[in-house]
Amino acid sequence: MVVKHKNIFKTEGTWSDARKLLLKLDTGSWRTERPVLDREKCNYCGLCALYCPPQCLLDRGDRYEPNLDFCKGCGICAKECPRGAFGMVPEGEFIDEG
Amino acid sequence: MKAKKGKVSVMTGNYAAANAARLCRPEVVSAYPITPQSEVAEQISAYVANGELDAEIVEVEGENSAMNVVCAASLAGARVFTATSSYGLVFMYDTLLQTAGYRAPVVMVNVNREPPGIQAVSGGQQDLISTRDSGWVQVIVENNQEIIDQIIMAYRLAEDHDIQLPVMVNYDGYYLSYLAESVEMPLIEDVDAFLAPLKSQPPRPRIIPGAATGCGTHGMEMGYVEARYKHWSALERAREKVDDIDRLFGEYFGRSYGGQIEEYRTDGADIIIVTSGSAAGTTRTVVDAKRNEGVRVGMVKIRLFRPFPEDRLTEVLKGRKAIGVVDRSLCFGWKCGPMCMEIKALTPDIGRMPILSYIDGLANLDITVPHITRVVDEVNGAAQGKPFQEVTWIPMEE
Amino acid sequence: MVEATKKRNRVFDYYCEEDQFSGGVAWCAGCPLELTARTIPKVLGKNMVFVGTPSCAAPVLHGQNMGAWHYLSYLACVMTGVASSATGLSRYFRRTGQDATVVCFTGDGCATDIGFQPLSGAAERAEHIIYITYDNEGYMNTGNQRSSATPRGAHTSTTPVGKVGRGKPTQSKNMPMVMLMHRPRYLATATLSHPEDFAKKLLKAKEMAREGFVYIHVFSPCPVGWRIDSNNVIEVCRAAVRTNYFPLWEAENGQPRLTLEVANPRPIAEFTRLMRKFSHLKEDDLAEMQRILDERFALLKTLCGASK
Repeated sequence: MVVKHKNIFKTEGTWSDARKLLLKLDTGSWRTERPVLDREKCNYCGLCALYCPPQCLLDRGDRYEPNLDFCKGCGICAKECPRGAFGMVPEGEFIDEG
Repeated sequence: MKAKKGKVSVMTGNYAAANAARLCRPEVVSAYPITPQSEVAEQISAYVANGELDAEIVEVEGENSAMNVVCAASLAGARVFTATSSYGLVFMYDTLLQTAGYRAPVVMVNVNREPPGIQAVSGGQQDLISTRDSGWVQVIVENNQEIIDQIIMAYRLAEDHDIQLPVMVNYDGYYLSYLAESVEMPLIEDVDAFLAPLKSQPPRPRIIPGAATGCGTHGMEMGYVEARYKHWSALERAREKVDDIDRLFGEYFGRSYGGQIEEYRTDGADIIIVTSGSAAGTTRTVVDAKRNEGVRVGMVKIRLFRPFPEDRLTEVLKGRKAIGVVDRSLCFGWKCGPMCMEIKALTPDIGRMPILSYIDGLANLDITVPHITRVVDEVNGAAQGKPFQEVTWIPMEE
Repeated sequence: MVEATKKRNRVFDYYCEEDQFSGGVAWCAGCPLELTARTIPKVLGKNMVFVGTPSCAAPVLHGQNMGAWHYLSYLACVMTGVASSATGLSRYFRRTGQDATVVCFTGDGCATDIGFQPLSGAAERAEHIIYITYDNEGYMNTGNQRSSATPRGAHTSTTPVGKVGRGKPTQSKNMPMVMLMHRPRYLATATLSHPEDFAKKLLKAKEMAREGFVYIHVFSPCPVGWRIDSNNVIEVCRAAVRTNYFPLWEAENGQPRLTLEVANPRPIAEFTRLMRKFSHLKEDDLAEMQRILDERFALLKTLCGASK
């Protein structure tokens, strides 16, 4: 038998190594709505970042902004913000942004 | 270099197994009691309690957990040991598959017992047969000395870097578990020396806290195929390794068992009786008697059941006139016992000849000298062209 | 612009590590399980091993081929082997002097059903492990079938509502209480509407696991299976606490105390109305649900009092 397959694992069993390959999904593409921050309303309390399930709100020093590569658009940040600083805007409105 | 003479004493198969495990210095042991294995679990606990063995003992709430404990500890780098029987083996089935698939070098003693419901608290090899496709190395031994020696050899095999497979050492429940025989117990320093080469191998992967590595990652498509191919290939490699280790063991300790199979008086034999486990002793007696009568009969004892010793068996069975296979278990849906089925699968290599299947020794019923004598007579008749019965349940015809 | 004067939530002070997970992982939008999983190593630190099994956590907890979704060590094992595998790891780490927190992370399906026996065994043996159950009240990964943690009346795919069917006919296993009776070194309930409470408990768990068994039961609504709007799951967690449907408590050495006493518990309908898995419930169903809840809370309060 001639094995043409090139081994994926260096080990005999199935062991993964995140340092060699950290997996990432394009979860940003799941979104139908995106959170848009009204900076006037934000007081940097951090509740949005606290509750964000993918933990994708980036600390900008004076506010939090979503990392749109990973934000799934669940809307928790908008719902939980006591000041209503995030609005959920349909993705269709951003279609031209490339 | 040769090992020193060990201490000779009389002990049961279960004590022999526990003793041998102790000599191999397992670091984590977990076993759940079940008849006829219980003394193995008890005795290991006693060693730890007496300070004769420095191991973590985990008294689990079932066999399934026992296998998970030792599998995980093994994946963390520990040398491990466990023991079970019958339903215990079946109860750990899911983890049995995982342990082999994850390539954890667990060594386990399985004291063979029948497993259909609680109607069978008696000897038989059905437990072993039910797990033959689990991906474990499965060895069957014949007597208490072989239990000791094979457990030591099992560590050498399981932890070999080329193998990395769990090994199940099988011996007949009741017949050996409770049978006291004279055995020579190797000295622990000699066992250390025999297992020492394992230390100079490349390290196997381990679960390390703080590392970014994990075991049991999903094998996706070719990743899974590759893992299965490697597993399958390791079992293929294990055959020769079993022969090598048996030879090395013989050179060092002065006892060897033939490796994958033991051949007894097969030179010039027209017919071969294939058997395994404690029934081999009776078969040897009958072979001797029949040879004296001029019957050209020999015996093959299957020691390695998985991987199946295809090449060694082909070599010894090829060109004979007839074969009789004595099974201590059933192969449902086939007109023969399970080992007989596997021997029949060698037909393209060994040539067509009568292969007679015998079912005997279930429910602790003895495989007696008259039984094996009958087998030899019928197989001999078949070799000479007499009609024969494909499968015979010996006790049902008595 | 409003002045950034308000202090950040104190929960951030409990985080000792960066997020160990990859940015994009395959958990459903709005799932609090994702938040739970990301929070655990932030508080416990990197020196931990996740032990998991097929479940909603599995696709992310365990890698794919050489790749993984996080920088943590893990062992993926069969459904029946989580607490026992963790035992094997923990025993060997301790024996060899490796400092590690072994964390079992499974759903209620494993913890309360198929993996319960080894969990109970490990608790009885006082193994030095932390067992965290994320309770989404059913087998959500396989498609919303009932588990023994599914509450009475809930619609699931194996207790569907129809002409005859009225959802699950029996009440759920009171798992935190079942585990309390094992007298673990530490036990806590938590949910993600109260992250500081959760973080405090995790920190305690890490210390207590050096001395014995730790069990943490995390209430984790499933936006898909329970039919909740994805933005509303934290509100559902909050409502579960406010109604005493899921009280927040902890127990050291089997002595429970509430970590949050709800001043004026709201009626159960304020919880059930937030999801559609209970939308078929009639008044008498809700009354029965309230009765079960009250009975359980009374028991908890009694035990809290008894331990004082």
